[in-house]
Amino acid sequence: MKPAASVLLLTTATGFGFGLLAWLGAYSALGLLPGHARILLAVGVTISLLFASLGLGASVFHLERKQRAWRAFSQWRSSWLSREGVAAVLTYPVAIVFVAVSWHDGQVIWTRLLGLAALVASLGTVYCTAMIYASLKPIRQWHNRHTAPDYLLYAVFSGAVLYASLHTVDLGATGATASVAAAAAAGVALIAKRAYWRHIDAQTPLATLAAAIGLPKGVEARALDAPHFTENYILRQMGFAVARRHAVKLRHMVLVIGFALPLACSIMAGLALAPMTTTTLALACAGVGLLLERWLFFAEATHVSAVYYGRRI
Amino acid sequence: MTMLPERAPGAKKLGLVIDLDTCVGCHACAVNCKEWNTGGEAGILPDYDKYGPEPDGVWFNRIHSYETEEEGCSRTVNVPRSCLHCDDALCVTVCPTGASYKRVQDGIVLVDTEKCIGCQLCSWACPYGARELDEKQGVMRKCTLCVDRIYDENLPPAEREPACVATCPSRARHFGDLADPDSKVSKLVKERGGVDLLAGLGYRPTNKYLPPRRATIPTAPVKPPAPGNKGIGTALLELIDKALSR
Repeated sequence: MKPAASVLLLTTATGFGFGLLAWLGAYSALGLLPGHARILLAVGVTISLLFASLGLGASVFHLERKQRAWRAFSQWRSSWLSREGVAAVLTYPVAIVFVAVSWHDGQVIWTRLLGLAALVASLGTVYCTAMIYASLKPIRQWHNRHTAPDYLLYAVFSGAVLYASLHTVDLGATGATASVAAAAAAGVALIAKRAYWRHIDAQTPLATLAAAIGLPKGVEARALDAPHFTENYILRQMGFAVARRHAVKLRHMVLVIGFALPLACSIMAGLALAPMTTTTLALACAGVGLLLERWLFFAEATHVSAVYYGRRI
Repeated sequence: MTMLPERAPGAKKLGLVIDLDTCVGCHACAVNCKEWNTGGEAGILPDYDKYGPEPDGVWFNRIHSYETEEEGCSRTVNVPRSCLHCDDALCVTVCPTGASYKRVQDGIVLVDTEKCIGCQLCSWACPYGARELDEKQGVMRKCTLCVDRIYDENLPPAEREPACVATCPSRARHFGDLADPDSKVSKLVKERGGVDLLAGLGYRPTNKYLPPRRATIPTAPVKPPAPGNKGIGTALLELIDKALSR
């Protein structure tokens, strides 16, 4: 599948934004925020909504008819894309009320409950995003049991590194909880990504060419003539393929930049080794690594319709 | 509304039955489809770089040619590929705006281009590659089963069929109601063992494909001429042939 910049930015930036909001909500719900949480929470929620808005803004650029984008909120009963839009828009008021109550009343029971609501709303939005991909039956690399939990994991991981650097800027030192959380999330995300690649590498194509054109078993088929001699929309969108040897290199880069370096940096920050530098480095690496990871998520995905053109699926 | 409609009892299920045995791969159906849907009131099928080196455009129907091999015998199979108007049309349910819909009365899947935002998710959801983006208007285009033809009472009844069916010179395309077991198309499917494409994915397409038949004319294997007992006439002719070939 063709990796479109707007969609890569959408899924990565909303992952950071809603991931951070989820952590702020979780810490608040559990009463784990530091004493002067008012400012940390206000700044944190603002940053999370900025990231989310960046992602959602980018997604509009994927639409050919941007002025009609409002229509996308209407079909939440059947469409995960519509649900994502509705969930994202509902998360904003929840986050704003959450931060307003905390600003006004401090960490009271209502703040904790609103924190829980922010956690549910933000992760709910990420889940809807993931299900857009996970529900597409023609794409075996997406329509599997890894996609939805993976998206949630990467959002939690990116939120954790963002929270850790925010915490460091705020206090001049990373809280042990924040860096342990970031390191643990990086470790789990790394394991999940490797498990995903093992899973898609072991899959068999959804169909053979012979089956796709309805021929019985035992008949071999080869593409002889394509309908047209030039590329078309279907081939540009669904026929996008990344060279195998490039994919292997890129996978290593994702593991190192996206997960291993943030893991190492978070541990260093937890041990109070230049926490300002290490948390910033962890954040930067996670950002670059996850963009690369998302690019591969698209580039390695094959669409069954490409089989009609004799392409590998 | 992108929820799939409950099929009313007695509702029609209009679709195509395509005979892979008789399709000669002439592309006439694709050309007539393009002509009708470009020229008609509703359809504007764009072309890009029309006279340039990389011509491209939107087609509702594309014709592939394949070479198949079975027990050492090979043959060419031509496969016209267009929207199959599926019962479980994922392209409809993924649509966030309600632009994609399946008609209750006849099961035709259509796009309301006034509502389409061009997010292209429907094209990702279709395993048959039947939906294409109109890069000029920024909306999705797909086969309408010539909905503007089949119900047009200004046309003589015999012409109220999709353009691709009307034009097929080898009568490989058939149009009708697949919900009616006594219709011509349903009988064809039954007689010829019509199949669903990519049945395993569970989209339950309406359109059916009739698989190519095995050759029924018995052909004796070619015998090589027995060596050694050439008649005098053959030997003489060979001699003349040799002399003239010099």
